[in-house]
Amino acid sequence: MITVDEETFPWQEGLTVADLLSKLKDGRSYAVVKLDGKPVSRPHFDTTTVADGCRITPIPMIAGG
Amino acid sequence: MTPLKTTSVKALTYQRRDVDKGYTNQYLDVDLSAETIAIGSIEEKIKKTFIGGKGFDLWLLWHAVSGEKKWNDPQNAVCIASGPMGGIPGYPGSGKSIVTSISPLTGSVIDSNVGGYFGPYLKFSGFDALRITGKAQGDMVVVIDGIEESIEILRISGLPEDAYALSDELTERFSKGKKVGISVVSAGPGAANTRIGCLNFSWYDNARKRVRYKQAGRGGIGTVFADKGLKAVVARWEKVSMKNNNPADLEATKTVAKRHAREIVDLDPKQNEMARIGTTHLVPIMNDFDLLPTNNFQYGSDPRASLIGREVFAKLFDPGFDGCWKGCTVACAHGVKDFVPFTGAYKGKRVFVDGPEYETIAGCGSNLGIFDPFTILEINFYCDAYGLDTISVGTGIAFVMECFERGLIDADHTGGMDLSFGNRLNALELVHQMAAGRGFGAIVGQGIRCMKKIFSEQFGADPAMLQDIGMESKGLEFSEYMTKESLAQQGGYGLALKGPQHDEAWLIFLDMVHNFMPTFEKKAEALHWFPMFRTWFGLCGLCKLPWNDVVPEDNKDTVEPAKVMKHVRWYAEYYTAVTGNTATPEDLITMSEAVYNYQRIFNLKMGYGTRDYDTLPYRAMGPVTVEEYDSRHERYDAELKEKYRVDITGKETPWKVARLRKRREAQYETLKDAVYQRRGWTANGIPTVDTVNRLGIDFPEVLAVLAENGVK
Repeated sequence: MITVDEETFPWQEGLTVADLLSKLKDGRSYAVVKLDGKPVSRPHFDTTTVADGCRITPIPMIAGG
Repeated sequence: MTPLKTTSVKALTYQRRDVDKGYTNQYLDVDLSAETIAIGSIEEKIKKTFIGGKGFDLWLLWHAVSGEKKWNDPQNAVCIASGPMGGIPGYPGSGKSIVTSISPLTGSVIDSNVGGYFGPYLKFSGFDALRITGKAQGDMVVVIDGIEESIEILRISGLPEDAYALSDELTERFSKGKKVGISVVSAGPGAANTRIGCLNFSWYDNARKRVRYKQAGRGGIGTVFADKGLKAVVARWEKVSMKNNNPADLEATKTVAKRHAREIVDLDPKQNEMARIGTTHLVPIMNDFDLLPTNNFQYGSDPRASLIGREVFAKLFDPGFDGCWKGCTVACAHGVKDFVPFTGAYKGKRVFVDGPEYETIAGCGSNLGIFDPFTILEINFYCDAYGLDTISVGTGIAFVMECFERGLIDADHTGGMDLSFGNRLNALELVHQMAAGRGFGAIVGQGIRCMKKIFSEQFGADPAMLQDIGMESKGLEFSEYMTKESLAQQGGYGLALKGPQHDEAWLIFLDMVHNFMPTFEKKAEALHWFPMFRTWFGLCGLCKLPWNDVVPEDNKDTVEPAKVMKHVRWYAEYYTAVTGNTATPEDLITMSEAVYNYQRIFNLKMGYGTRDYDTLPYRAMGPVTVEEYDSRHERYDAELKEKYRVDITGKETPWKVARLRKRREAQYETLKDAVYQRRGWTANGIPTVDTVNRLGIDFPEVLAVLAENGVK
């Protein structure tokens, strides 16, 4: 299982961060997430695969600086 | 070490006025030419209009300088203030000081905010603000002792030159056994020999048993400070508690402080981890989104960026509490201990480096083509020791390196130095030269605007190219974000009152990544609301990081997530609890609007402040060169074809560069129109009489400046 922002999803081979975020109603709004604590940015969502049991936490990256 | 020789120039004992609802209603006025110390009153009307912090600074500065005077005239003032909430322990980010002066770089008003304890100690000693005017013959130290209720101007000869040794010495000398009670403001030798001098504000880190530093970096205020013959200003205070500020409602203050502090403790580890890695978390994110300035803002990413990112500094930072204010749970002021410089006076000695923050990493790292964390640490260390602004240093050297690589200058001009991108040793050598005012560094230390003039007039470089790639606006060097693909952030920089610093508006993500503001009107609205709210922090003695660098978990479900309105409401509660003046979130914006417009008119008074001065170098708007265009050709080709309906079939890149430029420059002008209208300004960028009337800043002197500029 994968945990994304407190929701759980079944894992499958080749699953990417982008695949998982597409399952969230607001998944398109995230620019950065943490994958098991390590930040991953949107340009890498499509190419970053996730392992079974990992946890994804969206980071609200909105107005910083 | 030379023995110190101390002479008392002027001393004043006074009866300390306790703080009442966040204010002392007094300011301290020191004139170094006349050798006088005076205490002035802050009237109710001034307090209500200017709120505190930068507002008080601007009011004091306006009445110190006439419009014809330059930065190095004795009239010019260095003003430092906290704010009504400044000095509340436990509410995150409540230790800020705001410094203002007339800038040697811009010739107009500059403001810079800084963490640490000085502003609160000044206020607890009885003064909402400090104004220092006049000039003395060097080595002057002003000591504000709130415990013994005395103020003294001292001439102390034999003090160390660099800021670290100086602050250590003065902390030891004036602490009377309690070093946490001392905060020192100082510049350094580099501030005296350049126009990009910063001020170091110290506090004592009791856990590490060492003096720590934050910097009021922007605009050369350290240069003004040094030009006045000031060596340091010292504030002394003892116990810090919430009661020092005597809030109107102590319980309500405690409640809102606890709520915000708790939320940060809970959420920061899940979000940006500021308490562990500071602002270094931005480095890989900016790189991933093609926004990390690289090789003088030509490019936005580099495969080597991971060598200077969060994971590296997470290992280098010394673990422990790093709040620059008591009880701040953001605690982002990290440092590296036992660093050993390989150049300069500290070569081979173990030192503690306060930093680096994101701006220093990007400015003195990627923007110079340097991807070595230790070189960045060494530049950071020496800039602080010399009193140099790391942003202006980084952006200035980046400009020089590009000029060198393009053949606009050569080794004959640089004293034989190869200043290609990535040359770490020569970048460091330039920092040492700047600080000493020698060699080619003496030119670089004058800032990009001066360099452009010298390179074109004396070295024969192409002035048009220098203008396009010299990353300054209004005379101030850019801070470290790429704005090419975000029109809103171009406005955030180009329309900022003091020049291109991101503290007014940081809209890149909202605009470029999230596309929250697709129209000119929405961009203009953002370029109204965000600068106003961000200004408010500087009025109150607050840091803005707790507002939006850690956000509530349910923030994304709110109507306007970008504004983090839950926190805005907490800030309104906080202001109400401390001052006793009931405020809504909308009121916070109005407070800022008054000060913001006053500062705009202050620019006008100094001979600037109109549309012509809100310009940007083209590199901030788009690709100057063929290589830049080619690095993002898919984006630019698509923009020409789809947005502007330009047929690019068979066209060469220089042709496309020119067509894109014409359109991007035009859209920036359209943005100016929209923003000026939203802010209640004329098409020339001047606040209207209706606007100043509405905001209550219709003072006779303000209306006179408007009238002189044709606005009646």
